Amino acid sequence: MIVKKYRSEVVSVENPIPDIRVVTLRPLEKAYKYNPGQFLHLALDEFDPARPWPESRCFSMQSSPDQDTIKITFATKGKFTERMARELAPGKVICVKLPYGDLFSSGQDEGKAVFVAGGTGITPFLSLFTSAAFAAYKEPRLYFGVRNPSHHLYSAELEKAAAVNPSFRRTLLNEEKDGRLDIQKIFTENGPAAVYFISGPPAMIRSFKARLAADGVPPGNIRTDDWE
Amino acid sequence: MKREEILNAVKAYHSAAFPAKPFNREKDTVRYAGRVFDEKELVALVDSSLDFWLTEGRYAESFSEKIADFLGVDNVILTNSGSSSNLLALSALTSKKLGKKRLVPGDEVITVAAGFPATVTPILQNGLIPVFVDVSLPTYNIDVEALKKAVSPKTRAIFIAHTLGNPFDLDAVMKVVKEHDLWLIEDNCDAFGSLYKGKYTGTFGHIATISFYPAPHITTGEGGAVVTNNEQLAQIVRSFRDWGRDCYCGGGENNTCGKRFTQQFGTLPAGYDHKYVYSEIGYNLKMTDMQAAIGSAQMDKLEMFGNRRRENFRRYQRIFSAYEKYFILTEATPGAEPSWFTYVLSVRENAPFTRNELVTFLNERRIETRNIFAGNILRQPAFIDRPCRVEGKLPVTDFIMNNTFFLGTFPGMTEEMFAYVEDCVAEFMGKHLK
Repeated sequence: MIVKKYRSEVVSVENPIPDIRVVTLRPLEKAYKYNPGQFLHLALDEFDPARPWPESRCFSMQSSPDQDTIKITFATKGKFTERMARELAPGKVICVKLPYGDLFSSGQDEGKAVFVAGGTGITPFLSLFTSAAFAAYKEPRLYFGVRNPSHHLYSAELEKAAAVNPSFRRTLLNEEKDGRLDIQKIFTENGPAAVYFISGPPAMIRSFKARLAADGVPPGNIRTDDWE
Repeated sequence: MKREEILNAVKAYHSAAFPAKPFNREKDTVRYAGRVFDEKELVALVDSSLDFWLTEGRYAESFSEKIADFLGVDNVILTNSGSSSNLLALSALTSKKLGKKRLVPGDEVITVAAGFPATVTPILQNGLIPVFVDVSLPTYNIDVEALKKAVSPKTRAIFIAHTLGNPFDLDAVMKVVKEHDLWLIEDNCDAFGSLYKGKYTGTFGHIATISFYPAPHITTGEGGAVVTNNEQLAQIVRSFRDWGRDCYCGGGENNTCGKRFTQQFGTLPAGYDHKYVYSEIGYNLKMTDMQAAIGSAQMDKLEMFGNRRRENFRRYQRIFSAYEKYFILTEATPGAEPSWFTYVLSVRENAPFTRNELVTFLNERRIETRNIFAGNILRQPAFIDRPCRVEGKLPVTDFIMNNTFFLGTFPGMTEEMFAYVEDCVAEFMGKHLK
């Protein structure tokens, strides 16, 4: 899909738990266009069309493409995200460019799909779960690990997902109480023919990917939303 | 000196260098095509050159967006020509990324022989077998009954043009495509802005191409585009266009996928720089930002240009309908609203003159004409003895080769030019109908 630049206004900034912020943006000129699982580049400095694109960072759209606004989640982890925490406030106008990425290549992933997410890594999945396209997925499964119940910020989206696709099954793990996600157990429950989508901390992605590959899952059936 | 001052000077230069001139019957030429522009194209071109970005940049973004918005498509990949676009569109279908759907050497691609070589050569260049089907008069498009008969177990794709702006029978062709699970490439190089049942040509098939050569509907000098709503095909086309690279970052961008150093491809070491990973045997067929600057300004005129082309077609139709006994007049495909590339007509076999006599007469009076490109391409030196299959015979294609020509409908045509053409045609007909 053609990458476009969108002047956007910050509609809201929520701070549900320390260091995690949820930002909602609305376009000022033209409607956003993207597919589930794609991501955007967000710049804080003013964009001059005659100059190169300013410093930016990538964030997954967690809202569905059917919606008018875009929602992203970010954790304050470095200088740029610290600036975001300081500067993003309702009414602020920024520039984003999108869409990028091809996590869910349309029409090919509607067989048995297993989604494995750690923490805010669930956000790219949410854009699929809450879009009409999710209805075509056959018995999708989600394994979602959060540090504790206060870190589970996505109940509303997951409820909506269940409404979009009634065959959607969810396993929610409270890591402080139940321990971490166990990829071996997930593999045993779903087998080598499923397509595994993994998103979360880099170490988790690396180890889960290696384990699934060792268990005979073809490389094309392991899709990761990993970032450097 | 400020940029604005330079651009104001460019506007003044345009007025001085390209003034509107009345048509002079004694020495001016009635061209079959030509660049139509105003100060906006010139200003955009200079503005882009002052950026000195050179490769795809802000103007390429603007041009692509305008095309995408006009056609209502998701992906526009700018290229250096319509012919390159055709090569990319067909080459993309050979990608391993398409699995069992990919075209492999020996597969058949249905096309026509009455057209431009750039629709046929990519088939041969990719080791595929062109299957030639005859065309129909008075639309000059593929004969759909012959098309149905041409499909064999080896047929995998249809690659045809909307001839001279006239859409082919998309209902019939799409039915064949769906019934036999074929790819359809719409060569839309001569039909940008044409409609079929209210929908733009170039948006029906899996992939379509556009040309921005000076003769087509808008120009960037050299230039073209591939359009598709299929995300996977768009990525493959981009890869073929950009040396075969796997990375899809634009010029001046880095790591837009966020995985530049963490992936593994082929037998390369894990983490090898994604910027230098090659997934296809590709080319370098990109457009420059200066070309895109012209194209972006031309896009604002596309609708107006299309209306002028339709008006000019009607004007010719009025001139030649007086002599319908001797000419086969073109008709739009039922359901189509063509943005005519040219005004095409054929001399009937019982006419008391030949096509060559008429075009010689017109060209001597500086009225440019062109044949329908290669005529019957199978009779061209480069195509003799090439691997191919011909469905039945091609009598209409041969008729076109011998009897058909076209005149210009481009928006630069004026009332004075039409009056001159009308007088010259009347003079010729007067001589031959005595």
